[in-house]
Amino acid sequence: MFFHIVLERNMQLHPRYFGRNLRDNLVSKLMKDVEGTCSGRHGFVVAVTGIENIGKGIIRDGTGFVTFPVKYQCVVFRPFKGEILEAVVTMVNKMGFFAEAGPVQIFVSNHLIPDDMEFQTGDMPNYTTSDGSVKIQKDSEVRLKIIGTRVDATEIFCIGTIKDDFLGVINDPATV
Amino acid sequence: MSDDETEFPDSTDSSGSTDELIEKLEDELDDDGADNSSSDEEAQSQDSRIKRLKSDSTSVTEASTSEGTTEQKSDGCMHPGSFGGICIHCGQKVDAESGVSFGYIHKGLKLDDKEISRVRDIDVKNLLNRRKLCLVLDLDHTLLNTTFLYRLSSEEMHLKTHTDSLEDISKGSLFMLEHVQVMTKLRPFVRTFLKEASEMFEMYIYTMGDRRYSLEMAKLLDPQGLYFKDKVISREDGTQKNVKDLDLVLGTENSILILDDKEEVWPKYRDNLILMERYHFFNSSCQDFGLQCKSLAALNIDENETDGALAKILEVLRQINYKFFDELQGDLVDRDVRQVLSSFRGEVLRGCVIVFSLNFRGDLRILRRIAERLGATCLKKHDPTVTHVVATDFVTKESRWAVEEKKFLVNRRWLEAADFYFQKQPEENFLCQNALVSGS
Repeated sequence: MFFHIVLERNMQLHPRYFGRNLRDNLVSKLMKDVEGTCSGRHGFVVAVTGIENIGKGIIRDGTGFVTFPVKYQCVVFRPFKGEILEAVVTMVNKMGFFAEAGPVQIFVSNHLIPDDMEFQTGDMPNYTTSDGSVKIQKDSEVRLKIIGTRVDATEIFCIGTIKDDFLGVINDPATV
Repeated sequence: MSDDETEFPDSTDSSGSTDELIEKLEDELDDDGADNSSSDEEAQSQDSRIKRLKSDSTSVTEASTSEGTTEQKSDGCMHPGSFGGICIHCGQKVDAESGVSFGYIHKGLKLDDKEISRVRDIDVKNLLNRRKLCLVLDLDHTLLNTTFLYRLSSEEMHLKTHTDSLEDISKGSLFMLEHVQVMTKLRPFVRTFLKEASEMFEMYIYTMGDRRYSLEMAKLLDPQGLYFKDKVISREDGTQKNVKDLDLVLGTENSILILDDKEEVWPKYRDNLILMERYHFFNSSCQDFGLQCKSLAALNIDENETDGALAKILEVLRQINYKFFDELQGDLVDRDVRQVLSSFRGEVLRGCVIVFSLNFRGDLRILRRIAERLGATCLKKHDPTVTHVVATDFVTKESRWAVEEKKFLVNRRWLEAADFYFQKQPEENFLCQNALVSGS
């Protein structure tokens, strides 16, 4: 799920950036540092949308760096256990398939794929129902439910399932 | 909750905030402790469980319904594997140490032994039904030869201007990869080899190079990703240092063949191994193996395309595949490709009776093993049934006897070539020189 929240961060700035463009430098450094990172609490920071407040800078003894507490607004993405998401399939193999929903990697193991879907190997490995009516392959869009999440330094890992009602392929790339 | 926690609190918990729930559980557990004549152990396990509850909040809802059972199996899940540290079946956090890492398929994927066997069995059945076996290929000196740019000799410098374009990889065979500072030459016939082998085998790459290198090479060999999509195993994926194993290959021992130029890296699977003659295109490669000769590049020649090692081995593979599916009896899953391989080898020198005349005892043992594996009979002393004498270029009693009796007097390379090519080689190409000249 996406959220638009306010976060705070202490930014350290080297004196070479002081001067007329101090604020711009600070903002671009913030964006470079924060966009694309993730944390356990807020999830993945997708983009900084605005600066709410920049506090007074404190000069650090000994180094000359200045620390500014910056409050900024940003869009974050955080998956929750039990959430239903739409994702794009990136890789299909005999163990299940991998899908991506924004910055999040989701794995749906074949234990959590309906039993009537079988793995077919080949140029475009896929999972297909016995009558061939439903096919999951690379670039298919699927609706899945998150059953577990974990965050590490730069990535969010999720486990999903499509075994419940109303889950599965939304869009077959072959017919698009 | 600090920023370093790696668990998301379960926000769909309808019984209020997780803090309240933890307090409720603590109370409950404290009551239990007072009622039982609890030993220290029980109290400790309850304490540790409380501690775990506080830091591992996703399992709070599970733990509350199954007190007394172990945390991991609380919902009966066998945890067949994990992705990023969470079970792929139930989503709970799992023990980081368990399972075999299958990072070559996708980062973060680990599988439990039972799951690996399950997938392996299904996979093998699938392959066998399509008349396919499994082939594990090495990269360096087997399918290609790579050198660092700084190691190019002066005679090889001209190659820099003759490299093939990276825009159209499938047409080229000599590539310069500036971003990693190497030049790579694909072995002649390799593209045809891969295309035809892919119809009979599911192929894996298993190399001692690092992942970045192996993925680059896989792109050169297979630009369309038809053969090796998620089947490139590199050094970092290997479970043991300096040794290759079949634990990461999703196939069973009796249906896998290995093509590698080094025997030592496959200590457990020598019977599945087909040793490849090394491809030394660049000077640095010759140097690395202590060879004094000039490299193919320096001499401006290359291995013969249609008659070289890869072409010959492709034929051998074709015949082994045929023998496996059409000549062996019994259930497909019970047939053994190693049996086919050794009986195939055993035909190569059938009928040959060999006597050795060598200086080093160590060599004798190795060559004798090769000869016997190829179906030859090896004798300790010469007698009238002998057909070949394998000697060095020094004149010996045996070599003189061979010339007198008009037996074939060949050097060890005759045996080695027969081993590489699975074919008896014409003896004229491997005659011992000096013995003939001075023999009488």
